[in-house]
Amino acid sequence: MYAVIVGCGQLGAELASRLYRAGHEVAIVDQTPAAFQTLDPAFRGRIVEGDVLSQDVQRRAEFQRADAVAAVTNVDTVNAVIAHVARMRYRVDKVVARNYDPRILTLHETFGHTVVASTVWGARNFEELLSRPAGGAAQPLFVTPDGSVAVHAVGIPAGWDGRPLEQLLAGLEVSAVSLTRGARSLLPAAGAPLATGDIVHLSATRTGIEALRGRLAERSASCSS
Amino acid sequence: MFVLIAGGGRTASELGRFLVDQKHEAHLIEDRPEVLARLHRELPTEAIHVGSAIDAVLLEHAGIRKCDVLAACLPRDADNLALCYLARSRFAVPRTIACINNPYNAWLFDEAFHVDVALNQSSILATLIQEEMSLGDMMTLLKLRRGKFSFVEEKIPAGAPAVGRRISELPLPRNCVIAAVIRRGEIEIPRGDLALQEDDEVLAIVEAQAASELARLFS
Repeated sequence: MYAVIVGCGQLGAELASRLYRAGHEVAIVDQTPAAFQTLDPAFRGRIVEGDVLSQDVQRRAEFQRADAVAAVTNVDTVNAVIAHVARMRYRVDKVVARNYDPRILTLHETFGHTVVASTVWGARNFEELLSRPAGGAAQPLFVTPDGSVAVHAVGIPAGWDGRPLEQLLAGLEVSAVSLTRGARSLLPAAGAPLATGDIVHLSATRTGIEALRGRLAERSASCSS
Repeated sequence: MFVLIAGGGRTASELGRFLVDQKHEAHLIEDRPEVLARLHRELPTEAIHVGSAIDAVLLEHAGIRKCDVLAACLPRDADNLALCYLARSRFAVPRTIACINNPYNAWLFDEAFHVDVALNQSSILATLIQEEMSLGDMMTLLKLRRGKFSFVEEKIPAGAPAVGRRISELPLPRNCVIAAVIRRGEIEIPRGDLALQEDDEVLAIVEAQAASELARLFS
């Protein structure tokens, strides 16, 4: 795969190095020469210096034969414009834009871009780690690119033993992904009875997972009292 | 007419004042504090919206849904492109006009970003300067259709090929029409039988390529 990375900040440099190490052909574009110092010294991909909106720079970076373009500068409009040009003018197969300022996410939605909302995604991870209950569930296993939905693993306490899964999830912004009991995992039916020590994987919004944790804690408390 | 202007630089605020003077409704969006300080001295407060012009919420607040024209005059080309696209796709703005800051980016300002009209400030100025250098005394009063046609004025000096000739006899270039002749401060309607005199001021509409041909007749 030939990938063009636009923007050589920490994110762009890391992405370029990873793709290069994975054996892909990589070009990285930035208008500030000093930006390339961030690159891994082992990076042997192409370095293109210049304003990425100019046709000449796009020619030098060979957008016309790119299989993938990642627009990861810290300016949302530049990312949105480059992603649009890559998709519409060069018909690049895989195009991803970085959303830097969360207030500008609508712009990328309007263009219909595939987006990695790096700021929201990072903040969400921090939030999860900082606000997890003591001894409770750990950080999410997966967070969607826009940071709005995450997959969590949740342990079932004694208070929910024998009760159906659907009762645990009723009315919450949560969907069950899998249920693991001992060494076996399965796709859980809504009415499946839970057992103490089950691990349920769930995809949930931020409010959903919080409400669910509240529900789990409530029943274990009432049970032990 | 309701015009939304993005950016509060010199061009944008000049446009804003001009529109307000002509009793149009003009609203302006700007987020740089140093620029806002100046804007508040030049325009009524209710016409100024503080924040990013790429922010859809602020655009709605500034009235983008009812605007007839959006003028994207932001200092970054990517902002102007993204804004025109947003304005048409999301808010169905009927007409978008964008300023080009860097002439190297001019190629991107087209329908792919829903830019109806793109104005390349530096190339417009450069063209005007070049014309003033080559056309001697001919003055360009107005540019029409993005510079394809010009409205020009020329004072006829003694000994010019046009002196003493009727307009109908003049070998005028194609795509050129004489709009008026000013003689001793009075306007003469330029009919074919009007003979031109020394010191007449000729007003003409001419296609850009033919301007130098016209200039030769009157110099």
